[in-house]
Amino acid sequence: MSRGLKFGLFYTIIRPEEKWILQAAESRGLEVVRLDDGEVTFGLDRPDVEADVVLNRSVSHTRSLYATRCFAHYGIPTVNAPDVVEVAGDKVLASLRLAERGIPTPRTVIALSPEAAMKAVERIGYPAVLKPAIGSWGRLMAKVSTPAEAEQIIEHKSALASPVHSVFYVQEFVEKPDRDLRVFVVGPEAVAAMYRHSADWRTNAARGATTETLVLTPELRELALHAAEAMGGGVLAVDLMESPKGLVVHEVNPTPEFKALAGVTGADIAGAIVDYTVGVARR
Amino acid sequence: MSNCPECDAQVEKHGKVLGEVFPCPDCGTELEVFGTAPFAIQPAPKEAEDWGE
Repeated sequence: MSRGLKFGLFYTIIRPEEKWILQAAESRGLEVVRLDDGEVTFGLDRPDVEADVVLNRSVSHTRSLYATRCFAHYGIPTVNAPDVVEVAGDKVLASLRLAERGIPTPRTVIALSPEAAMKAVERIGYPAVLKPAIGSWGRLMAKVSTPAEAEQIIEHKSALASPVHSVFYVQEFVEKPDRDLRVFVVGPEAVAAMYRHSADWRTNAARGATTETLVLTPELRELALHAAEAMGGGVLAVDLMESPKGLVVHEVNPTPEFKALAGVTGADIAGAIVDYTVGVARR
Repeated sequence: MSNCPECDAQVEKHGKVLGEVFPCPDCGTELEVFGTAPFAIQPAPKEAEDWGE
């Protein structure tokens, strides 16, 4: 019985996803412990936080990184686990992991200075895509088609204050249909999937992409589960593209949104996440 | 009931929960619930560079 289990929800803001998670937890008789990522403090000894398990829904990668480490320090399991947050939340580390596991992913070159970034773009060829290593929703991504464009983007990125913009993550531009694929993985299951259509080369739902239910093929299911497992497993949204050479995994998101996916598929994703998190508490 | 800090429109509590983010029905400003009894709202936190999925 999970009734009475202290279910921690670590969050930044409450969006429809978090509201559904709260409702799913309460409907299962769980005692919900709300942990606002802007208010919680972490001492080195056992803290005030009393939870049997914590579901991380913070939208901040930095806060997620440190908080999941702190919860682990207290012996409180988290979904996702700290290592999963660290790797999947950083495109450089995620790409290295995908490559190490032999999972098809777009050609990528990483550079650590503006001078090296130009070399990285030249190695990839044109058009190329520059992405921030941290962050999502398609922000600050740039497609460059000429050396002049690449020089301008690199110069602008170098002028930004955050050191994260001086890590240059350069990827081939994948010629694909006007859509990508998202498979939502919870533990060992792919619970729902959708196409995201957009006339823009970025197909993020946050940028207004339209969605359509996707029926999982065995190949797609296996690839998505393999990618999620490569990150360490848990609750992960695997994003794929249909490249001329076949499916490629371009992102694995460790704190995925699912409003659009739940809307288009009708899947009870919040319920699946809560049940999985309770299972982690019992391990 | 509370008032939008941007446009002063009246905003109903309905089923909103602590921390919930929603757009003001009049001006569209993103608002956050920071109190439920009494119902209180403030501008939602601004998106930071490391925010994402």
